[in-house]
Amino acid sequence: MRTITICLRNLFRRQARTFLCILGIVLATMSIVTIGATTFRYITIIKEMHTYFSGKVVVVSKGAIVIEAFPIGIGSLPENMTEKIEARAGVKNAVPMLFIYNLEGALEAVPTNFTIGIPPGDWSVLVGPTPLRLGGHWPSAESSKNEVVVGSSLSDQYNLTVNGRIKLNGYDLKVAGVLDTSSALLSRSTVMSLELVQDVYGYNRLINLIVVEPIEGVNTEELADTIESEIKNVNALTEEERTDLAQPLISNIETWTLGIRTVLFILSMIFVTTVAMMNISERRRDFATLDAIGAPKIFVFKMVLTETGIMGLFGGIIGTLLGSVVAILVASLFTGIPISLFFPGIFDITPPLLVFEILVSTVAVSCIAGVIPAIAAARMNITEVLRAEY
Amino acid sequence: MRIKTTDLTRKFHVGSSEIVAVNMVNLEVNEPKFIAIVGPSGSGKSTLLNLIGLNDNPTYGKVFVDDIDTSLLSGSKRRRIRLFRMGFVFQTFNLLPTLNALENVELPMALARRLQKEQREKAVELLKTVSLDNRFYHRPKELSIGEMQRVAIARALANDPEIIIADEPTGELDSKTAKEIIDLLFDINRKQKTAIIVATHDQRIVEVADILYSIRDGKLRLEH
Repeated sequence: MRTITICLRNLFRRQARTFLCILGIVLATMSIVTIGATTFRYITIIKEMHTYFSGKVVVVSKGAIVIEAFPIGIGSLPENMTEKIEARAGVKNAVPMLFIYNLEGALEAVPTNFTIGIPPGDWSVLVGPTPLRLGGHWPSAESSKNEVVVGSSLSDQYNLTVNGRIKLNGYDLKVAGVLDTSSALLSRSTVMSLELVQDVYGYNRLINLIVVEPIEGVNTEELADTIESEIKNVNALTEEERTDLAQPLISNIETWTLGIRTVLFILSMIFVTTVAMMNISERRRDFATLDAIGAPKIFVFKMVLTETGIMGLFGGIIGTLLGSVVAILVASLFTGIPISLFFPGIFDITPPLLVFEILVSTVAVSCIAGVIPAIAAARMNITEVLRAEY
Repeated sequence: MRIKTTDLTRKFHVGSSEIVAVNMVNLEVNEPKFIAIVGPSGSGKSTLLNLIGLNDNPTYGKVFVDDIDTSLLSGSKRRRIRLFRMGFVFQTFNLLPTLNALENVELPMALARRLQKEQREKAVELLKTVSLDNRFYHRPKELSIGEMQRVAIARALANDPEIIIADEPTGELDSKTAKEIIDLLFDINRKQKTAIIVATHDQRIVEVADILYSIRDGKLRLEH
């Protein structure tokens, strides 16, 4: 007869109470997974943004809010500023870009579509070695007047294929290629020539980002300082500065997530301890009997701990499964991306390691919650209990 | 197994008053006899059995098991004596409600870390001994009170104890069932040479006991 069998039967004996306790753990775990997965996703996107324009200086308007390399909100620059920067000593080349968040079609809390304008021929500055799906091509200088490249997620969602058509602000454009990427940014992007973006979105000769590549051996910090001192109202950000800008945001998200997780774990711990104490108080006679017939204290201790651990395990498994589903629903709701598109990349939303970590934490927390009741059961004064019987 | 108590005393504090439940008791169990302790409710019978069964610590005096002063033993050593050398039968049976009859009998053997197969064989044999061969898989709530007490007796015998301590084993039973239980305990005493100490009100137990003690206000007196 195994301890685990006895524990399961003990739990089953008080079905309603056990169910409610597991339900509490489920709700806590589900919330932890949902919040954890959602924040993990945004942190991943922010961190992914850091991989762009490595070793280069990014010039933006002074008022612009920048996440890693990309400016959000107001703050444009005249396009001819690119030539001024390119003329500076130590600059190998400067590529102007127009980066636009499109909120259309999604809740405004989270932008899900991006339009990026870049001069034809400089595509690789943005996309690096990212390939196009079969049959696609990058727009040439001539064809770029009405051709665009779309990200894989947009392509899948809106059924945009090579040579298909896409309508943007009244412009009927041809899809020249589909980016074959799992990148959160690029897969939701429409990449086209800078001129075309300026036309479509009404940014007359305006840009909001210049990517500056220094000549080999030139110190990027010094170059950034020179640009900032010589050109008014711009911020020239090195890779380190861009990371520094994003770091407080990431830290804040992580701190809040950890705080919420801790509170939820503490609540479930209190819940499990309360239920376990109730169970023990009801089973005083059983524990006294076990002690009287010579059961080691460790047996009683392990039994109570196993019971709380089992509740944690069941609650944790159900909670993480439901939490994963809810995380996808939340991601879909806040981004406007259909749920079906999330399933191929389900482990990007709810990474197995995160889910496993939460499951293990839930079981551990439940076991810890069982320590006080387990000690109470093991140290029960059996004489008093047995005497009270008669 | 030899049990000896010297000036065994147990006091309880209830509010501001002190109750002497067991008062300077000197008792010796040397042979596998059937010993009955009679006395009215509150006379100290159960307290005395708890002290002899090493479930409680005396306020004063000592309990010796095979000339070893048990007050010097650690909790786990006292527990081992209870597990391997003593069997307990309670008035209210104290079976674990989530376990069936077989599992309740197996429990002390499982705690003694005996092999699972051995546990099962012994439990089956013991339940047959107490005439419960058709109730193996019934849980306590599915058994009659007489059957529950039989399971409790089988459980007490699980680790082949040298002594069985029974606290009012017939207290909850009707007279026919009580007689069956008394006969069963008597049989165990005679056939298996297991000493039995019973605290009781039951006159029929008094009649079959080899040694009879009476207890009143915690003081023990040998009757025959």
